[in-house]
Amino acid sequence: MGFPISLDIRDEDTSLPAAAERAFEWLREADARFSPFRADSEVSRLDRAELAPNELSPDLVHVLDLCDLYETSTGGAFRVRLPGRGFDPCAIVKGWAVQGAAEMLFEAGARRFCVNAGGDVVTFGEPEPGQAWRVGVRHPERPDQLCVVLGTRDGAVATSGLYERGDHIIDGRTGKPARGLMSITIVAADLTTADATATAAFAMGPDGIAWAAAQPGCEVFAVDTERRVFRTPGLPVV
Amino acid sequence: MPGKIPRAVPVLLLSVAALVPLWRFEAQPHSTTVEVAAAAPEATSSPETSSAETSAAGTTTTGAPPPANAAKAVTGSLIRTNHGDVQVQVTFTGDKITSVRMVKQPNSAPTRKAVPILTQETLKAQSADVDSVSGATTTSAAYVESLQAAIDAKGD
Repeated sequence: MGFPISLDIRDEDTSLPAAAERAFEWLREADARFSPFRADSEVSRLDRAELAPNELSPDLVHVLDLCDLYETSTGGAFRVRLPGRGFDPCAIVKGWAVQGAAEMLFEAGARRFCVNAGGDVVTFGEPEPGQAWRVGVRHPERPDQLCVVLGTRDGAVATSGLYERGDHIIDGRTGKPARGLMSITIVAADLTTADATATAAFAMGPDGIAWAAAQPGCEVFAVDTERRVFRTPGLPVV
Repeated sequence: MPGKIPRAVPVLLLSVAALVPLWRFEAQPHSTTVEVAAAAPEATSSPETSSAETSAAGTTTTGAPPPANAAKAVTGSLIRTNHGDVQVQVTFTGDKITSVRMVKQPNSAPTRKAVPILTQETLKAQSADVDSVSGATTTSAAYVESLQAAIDAKGD
């Protein structure tokens, strides 16, 4: 998972830099274990049928369960194993792994921090007393602009959208790249939920907007290919 | 002569009946009603599509029967619940239901979950002072140009 990670910790606890290092270690471990691009990862070994059912780690089982849950919930639009492609649970693993890193920081005593991993954000507490973290959402067409600014304290923001190049999110029902949305942003209590919901909703196309809005605890900001914006009334816009 | 109800209607009644208990049994009734769609003008209905005994009674007008497969929009009667009014509009093509729209629905939490409220607006662009930027996954190369890089650089 070659994405950049930014960490902003406002607590003045001097033990936190060490905790941050452990969090980065966890992310490197998650990459080694779950990346489909590493031949010796658990995911690649599973894909080559080299793991017996009782050899799956609890973490891998958890990831697989989440994949099944979203595949069912989206009617197959979100699918981690597509015909002709290897098993790729990246959409689930990324949010789950970064959420794990945020929880490590919390357990180490951090109470005011913001983690951004490749565009997925987890925040906790307040950067300054009385203020929420200001999380901008990148404009789907103008990368130097924002389309909305959200305020979060304890929560997560994930955005799924058209990639600049290369891989596209596939609609598992058709086997073709998902169509109809330019981007969809989800605010939820945790990044595992926000990331999976954003990816799954994007795969569904325009139907994904209402589907995501109906998921418990999720607020939605979506832009379709006609540049219409749909959002839930509870979205924390600042 | 009174028409027979198209076979598709009982399926609709089942789904409306399943929704109605949501609105009847919640402990804290909240009785505002949200009008969600302007009802489409109703097509002239033939006697076949009039229904008599159920709450999805449509209005009928007499006239020449339309071609068999023309779409016919039928608005169900207004159902009052302790959360607000419910009214559906059903479009039949032939004897199949081809769409159902909520013309009126209560503005309550279970309804919002079953039929989420979404507001629509235009896409705006802004530059603002933010702590972090959420976007579709950026590759490391794109990151260099991204807003997030600028934010991190500011923090040095």
